[in-house]
Amino acid sequence: MISIPDLRIILVDDNEIDLLLHERLITLQQISRTIISFNNANKALEFLSSNITLHRIPPTIILLDIQMPEMDGFEFLEAFDSYPLKIKSQCHIIMVSSSLDHGDINRTNANPLVVKLLRKPLLAKDLRETVLEIFKDF
Amino acid sequence: MKENRIRILYIDDEIHNLNAFRATFRRSYEIYTASSALDAKLLLKSIDVHIIIADQKMPVTTGVDFFYEIREQLPDPIRILLTGYTDVEDIIEAINKGHIFSYVKKPWDEHELANTISNAYEMYQARKQLKEKITELEKTNDELNRFIYSTSHDLRSPLMSVLGIINLTRLDNSVTDPNGYVDMIESCILKLDGFIQKIIEYYRNSRLDVEHEKIYFDSLLHECIAAFKPQNTAIEFQLNIDQPVDFKGDTFRISVILNNLISNAVKYQKPDESNPKVNLSVKVEPHKATIWIEDNGIGILSEHLSNIFKMFFRSKNNNKPGSGIGLYIVKEALSKIGGTINVESKYGEGTQFEISIPNRNDFDS
Repeated sequence: MISIPDLRIILVDDNEIDLLLHERLITLQQISRTIISFNNANKALEFLSSNITLHRIPPTIILLDIQMPEMDGFEFLEAFDSYPLKIKSQCHIIMVSSSLDHGDINRTNANPLVVKLLRKPLLAKDLRETVLEIFKDF
Repeated sequence: MKENRIRILYIDDEIHNLNAFRATFRRSYEIYTASSALDAKLLLKSIDVHIIIADQKMPVTTGVDFFYEIREQLPDPIRILLTGYTDVEDIIEAINKGHIFSYVKKPWDEHELANTISNAYEMYQARKQLKEKITELEKTNDELNRFIYSTSHDLRSPLMSVLGIINLTRLDNSVTDPNGYVDMIESCILKLDGFIQKIIEYYRNSRLDVEHEKIYFDSLLHECIAAFKPQNTAIEFQLNIDQPVDFKGDTFRISVILNNLISNAVKYQKPDESNPKVNLSVKVEPHKATIWIEDNGIGILSEHLSNIFKMFFRSKNNNKPGSGIGLYIVKEALSKIGGTINVESKYGEGTQFEISIPNRNDFDS
């Protein structure tokens, strides 16, 4: 149970089963009540940019897959980097991937927008710990 | 037929030389002529020739200088220099500076020149084929790269989803499974994933450049033990590290070697052994490191010992068949870094591997 009242989690993954798995995991672990899933990185970006009209952006965790068709995780990060600080400062990005490619891993670790890279299958314990780490000062 | 003719450009400031050349060879080759380097360059803009023959002694630009000037734009044509004197300096300069294939003394002898031209064309063809082969190999390598990348993703991704589903069934207790089928599925998936990871390991070993970094065997081996300990908590690990001097080597390959050997030592224990042991010893010397990995496991049949480093060889006398690739990777990784391996084993009593890896520490060598 994590008690950030209005915490929301955005899932970006082209694999529908992984989306479902991660949703269930978050619900079972009571990490957040608000889960918004996208199977396409572009749609997630569109949603985030529409948030600019909100009075206050709720604390947000983005679970981002690396390999996706059309727009991959790195392209998402590149586009997201140009977003206004109002949005960016509220979003914490966790990459989730089954990649063993060292290029992918090094690029992820080098990206300042990424809090952490978690391996698939996503383990409840790892996710909980990473989320707690992000909000340890709240 | 016309496409197969040898195309030659001949440059000489003396018009009657050009004419004589044309008269002699026009039946055998497709001949272009120019009376100066400048004319030649203009001509080369529109025609691809196989061979360029240039006179050395020309006003404004000499043959050697001409070859030197065109060597970047036109690296392919084979160059032949015609020179009136056997001036060694000239010839040395020509060969070094202008990438010249051959020189022919003036006045040229028809047979000698024809021979030189024929050799030059062979060279042209050989270089062209080599270039094509290189392009082809680069393409194959590039495809292999992409193949490995998609193997590591496209094959693993669904496996990781299955593992995720299995984890979820345990979290929400939604599956009643009195016979432990889910555990069986999990162990099959882990095995398959282990095999995919081995393939990627093999590939990285064969492709990655060797890099030398400082290695601390104490921490490296502790990491290995921590990774394998959970697979069989009954095993007693003994570490004996003697590293009085710095060691430099390729971290990736040395980890691959140690991981594979320790994994085997852990995996192939006797099921009824009351005191399973794995002993790891390291001795670092200025010029090499020797590592011993010893277990009291099931051992290897003596008739199998000579085959264990072969790709896809599996020893049949155990109930835990491996992928047949682990020890092969060990051998390949060792050959990349100049190491050696020896094995001693008694069936039913245990196995000892001894590996020796050169120390790349510059200060001591």
